[in-house]
Order: sequence, then structure tokens, then C-alpha cells
Amino acid sequence: MVAQFTRGQKSQISAVTAGTDLYVGVHLDAPGDWDISCFGLDVDGKLSNDDYFVFFNQPKSPEESIQLLGAQAGDHESFRVTLDRVPDWIDRLAFCAALDGAGSAAAISSGYFRLVAGGEEVLRYTFSGTDFTAERAVMIADLYRKGVWRVAAVGQGFAGGLAELIRSFGGEVEDEAPSEPEPAVGSGAVPGFGPPSGAAPSAPAPGFGVPAGAPPAAAASPPAPAPSVPAQSASPAPADTGAGVAGVEPSPAAGQRVQPGAMVSLTKFRETPTVGRWTKQNSKMVKVTLGAEALALRGSMVAYQGDVEFDFKGSGIRGFIENKLTQQGLKLMTCKGTGEVFLAEDASDLHIVELNGDSLCVNARNILAFDTTLNTEVKRIESAGIPGGGLFHLEVSGQGTIVVKTKGPPMTLPVNGPTFGDMNALVAWSVGMRISVSSQVRVTRQIYGGASGEALAMQFMGIGGNHFIVVQPFEV
Amino acid sequence: MQGTLTRDYGPTPITDRMSNHGSKIAKVMIEPGKDLFARAGSMIAYEGLIDFDAQPPQLRRMASSWATGEGVHLMTCTGQGPLYLADYGKEVVVVKLDNEALSINGKNILAFDADLHWGIERVKGVSMLSGMGMFNVVLRGSGWAAMTSRGNPVVLDTREAPTFVDTDALVAFTDGLSVQPRRTARLGGLIGRGSGEAFQLGFSGQGFVVVQPSEDPRPNFSVRG
Repeated sequence: MVAQFTRGQKSQISAVTAGTDLYVGVHLDAPGDWDISCFGLDVDGKLSNDDYFVFFNQPKSPEESIQLLGAQAGDHESFRVTLDRVPDWIDRLAFCAALDGAGSAAAISSGYFRLVAGGEEVLRYTFSGTDFTAERAVMIADLYRKGVWRVAAVGQGFAGGLAELIRSFGGEVEDEAPSEPEPAVGSGAVPGFGPPSGAAPSAPAPGFGVPAGAPPAAAASPPAPAPSVPAQSASPAPADTGAGVAGVEPSPAAGQRVQPGAMVSLTKFRETPTVGRWTKQNSKMVKVTLGAEALALRGSMVAYQGDVEFDFKGSGIRGFIENKLTQQGLKLMTCKGTGEVFLAEDASDLHIVELNGDSLCVNARNILAFDTTLNTEVKRIESAGIPGGGLFHLEVSGQGTIVVKTKGPPMTLPVNGPTFGDMNALVAWSVGMRISVSSQVRVTRQIYGGASGEALAMQFMGIGGNHFIVVQPFEV
Repeated sequence: MQGTLTRDYGPTPITDRMSNHGSKIAKVMIEPGKDLFARAGSMIAYEGLIDFDAQPPQLRRMASSWATGEGVHLMTCTGQGPLYLADYGKEVVVVKLDNEALSINGKNILAFDADLHWGIERVKGVSMLSGMGMFNVVLRGSGWAAMTSRGNPVVLDTREAPTFVDTDALVAFTDGLSVQPRRTARLGGLIGRGSGEAFQLGFSGQGFVVVQPSEDPRPNFSVRG
């Protein structure tokens, strides 16, 4: 299954694939000449060793854990990353694109970042120019360590283009430029970014004789996503090849003794540092940093730090929502005060959705928490066939974040033609579609052959725009 | 035969006494003289010769300390060979203790070395409020332990700030932390699961607390209001 990531989404890589030999493909359809590169950053987010700036003039890192493979299979640029060979000091691999010439990132008509393991695409983050304005460089995605290797869909633009990008990683570009190869890629790429002389692109650093775009020296191994046998797999056990043992965490890797100490053993479960108001701790827990109030499902607090009060009195906005939605199982509490609250519910998968002015309809059953700054409107899809007389949902819009919970990994289905979703599996959908309830007879006979008469499908018709529905693999 | 089932899920090399096989199975190397306590019924497979005793003499003395209905029963595992343990698809967390003490919720204990100093203790505070109590297995010394968590756990550092935890989500904590119950029910409202007592446990001191992203389906207390 391909995990569809949205901007800002993060995950452990082990959640999408057990493999550590990854193929990273970046597709970028835009006018102009875009250079896609990979920065190997240390724990401070700095490019402390420029051997780990992998780009067309330096197609691989010294121990070949990061290799540039060139355009193939629909990707404008591709890399092979062998995670368990990446040096320990590298904390983050940042995949970035920078524009060579005139234009801006807003002109990107389509683009994606994908991970392929064992010949199968496992993760895709789709972005487009609407995410950006006049930026000239884009940080597309990160592979980073936080106990285990993780992936983040960044989608962050840089106004100053490659110069700004390198500066943000390496600090002072001008100072380092004479001795470092990375400004070379920037020369001519960004007008106004004047690399000191001597670092011309035609003079690649010694030792990197492979010309731009050519297959790397290690091309003897298949450049495609085909997994290669890891170095330590002398054992004939079949599990040691390819993707490795599925689901086995990479951190206590084979041959690596576990250090004593409970805290050491638990390192991979450490609290993740706060980034913004809502921080995903793992796929099933989020942390909200209070300041402004937040509304959360009653009973979803698992822990908190700081001075936090939980208020249950039905009043104001919460009371209004609750009165309408109580029968659908939405009982909320107000979290206020200062501190951090950890929220989770029944080991459901949680998804943080930043609305940024957009609107979304969410099934009342799938709401975990949201900002009080959001505009909320309780709506009902009425049909005689629905138990309780209608499907209550919350239409949220404005500036803020809503946390959606799903049982199991959900699927986001674009609505082009008529699309049907089982009422019991529906999680969320975009605003502005025509929704009707399919007649039971038709549903049971034609779509859900053999299903009981309870199955009710909602039909969605979207005209124009990017309409979608989200369904979960679990029918309540 | 081809397919991911036979290709990707084979045994992993054994490096330690305890390790994970996937995220939900614990693998323990049982050796003579190094016995193991495990949750009764958690064995899913073993190789070699391993004996299980659900009524060992060491445990009998503890039997009276278990609350009725708490439902945590341990067995001893003796013999030689790799032993695989799991508990209803929960995540398994393997911990190597280094001369320290860890208090693990009785519902979340999966296995621990028999040569650790261990005891069953009531969690302070819970009993004071509910009258019943929550029983933890306290492990002290150096050795291995495995605990379960419904969903990926998160470790919170109590050195940063006093940490308040829903008792249903509590998996384990460093023994020796100061524990304070705290009610946050206000205006007749209730927090926590269902309609029971509304309180959390506050932890402060040098250590950490492990929480799971889910309440445990089994009742925490025999009587719930």
C-alpha cells in the first residue's frame, strides 16, 4: 500500500516499510531547470561535512550510503539511500530542489516525493505550486533519525533559493565557498548568488569524476529500487536479504549489543520535541502545547505536563457542538492552561490536519481534538435510511488544526467520477461536493453483494477542484 | 514457495537474552540457571526444551497479594532454547535494567528475569482514592524485562516537569518517583474513561513515565462508580 503523505506529515520509516535500502524518487514538473539534491546534516542541522552534499557534481557519499541515480521511472531525480550504512553522525537527510534560472516554485505544476522499497512504492508525498509562492528553492522531504529513521514531508520553500538553502544548512556560504564544492551547484543557478571565483561548476571536487546525471560509480548494482543484500547478511537465512525481517525495528540491529539501562532501551520511545502547537508523538499519540484553548474528546488525555485544567461543563462553542453531536458519540472537554497535553484514543491512528484556511468535513466519530480558533459548523446529512435520522458531521474551516482519528491507516480517494463510501467507514471529505445517500437496494445488490441491509453508501459527486473522501479500513 | 510471508518474517540472529521480533513479539533466550518469569499464556512458540510452571513455589507466596480480578498470573520458564512471547498483539518493549528499579503496571508486564529482585506493590495514591488499587510489579537490579503497550508507547521525562498520567494509560515508571494523586474533575464533569473516578497520578522526580496511547480494555478497578 502506498502511504499518501501530506505536507508536514511525519512517520517512522518502519511504519511504511521494513526495508532500509530505499529508493527515493523526486518528480518535479515545472518550467525552468531544477536541481534536486540531498543534504546529509548533523545533529545541529548543519552540513558539517560537504562530502554528504549529494548532487549532480557529487553523486555519492564516501561510503556510498547515499547515491544519486539520475532521472528514471518517471522521477526527475532519484537517490538510493542505504539507511543502515549512513554514518551515525548524520541526523537528517534533507531532499531539496532548487531552481536554476528564472521562475518560482509557484510554477510547479505537479511534483511528488516517493519512497520505494523492495520494488514497491511505499510512500508518496504529492506537492504542487499552490503550496508555494515566490520561493526559488524547496525543501521537499527529510529522512531523519529520532531513535529510529523517520520520514517527514516538509514542503518548505526558501525565498532566496539555493543560496538561502545552503546558508540555512551550512551557515556562511561565502566563507566556506572557496573550499567547499556546494556553492558550485549554486553558481549560475540563482542570480544574485555570487559564489567566489574558483568554485566554478566545471571544476568538480577531486575524486568525483562522475559527470552530472551519469549513473554513479556503483552502477554495477542495479540502480532501480531492487534491494541489495546488506553487508552483514552473510547468514543464509532468507530473512536477512532484501527488506529484512518485516516489522523488525532497525534500532537494535543485528550484531549490535543492547546497551544496559532502562532509559537507553526506551530511547526510541522518547517524547519528540515540540514543533508548533500540535506535535505527533507517534502514529497513535499527539501532543498539544497549550496556550490557546483546545477541545479534545473526553477521556482522550493520557498524560500532561504543566498546569492544565480540563473543563467539562457544556457551555459556549463546545456545548453547542456537543448538544448536536452527543448522540454520535462526540463528547468534548476543554483543555486550558499552560503546558503540554498528550492525547490518544483507543490506539487509533491519528492524523494532524492543518487547515490553513481550507474547509473539511469530518465525521463526528473521527474527531479527536481541534483548535478553538477554527470555525465549526455542525451539519447533518439527512436520509430516512440512516439510523438516528442523519449523519452528523463537523464542517471545520479557518485557521487552525484538527486531529482526525482513524482505525487503521486510512485511504484518501480523489473524487473524479461518482464515488461511493460506506457510511460506517467514512472519515472525512472535502467541502462542496454533492452528497446523496444511495438507496439501500441498489447498494446491497450491486455494490455490496451479499452485505446485510445495514450497509449504506454515500455517493459523492465533485465538480472541479480537488475533491476527495477519506475512508478507514474499519466499519464501526 | 514465494511471497513475503516466507521471505520476510524468518528468525533474526540472536544477540541478546531478550530482543524484539517485529514490534509485537519478544524473543527470549532461555538458558539453564537463568530462569524467566512470563505472563501465563503469553508463550506463542519455543524451540528446544522449555518447561513452564504456572504454579511455582516462588509465586505462591505472592498469590495473596494479587487483587482478585486483577488477572495477572505469572509462570516460570526453565530449560534451554529461544522462547517467543506475545500478548494479544500489543506492542512489546524490551528493557535492559542496569542496577535500577522500574515499576511496571501488572497489566503490562510480559516477562522478566527471575534473578531480578521483584515484588508486587500497590501504587500509592490509587488505592487511597478508589479503595481498590492498582498493582505494579517492581523490578530492581540488573537484567532484562519486557512489557507490553497497546499502541506505541511514549516515554515522558519527569525531570522536565511534573507529569500527570491517566491511570489507564500508565505502563511503567521509574521506581522512586514521588507519586501524587490529583483530581481534575471540575463542576461535576469527569475525566478519564467512562464515568469512574476522575483523577490522574502525578509523577515528579528523577526518572521517566511510560504511557500507552490507549486505555486498557480490562477493568482497572473491581468497582467503578
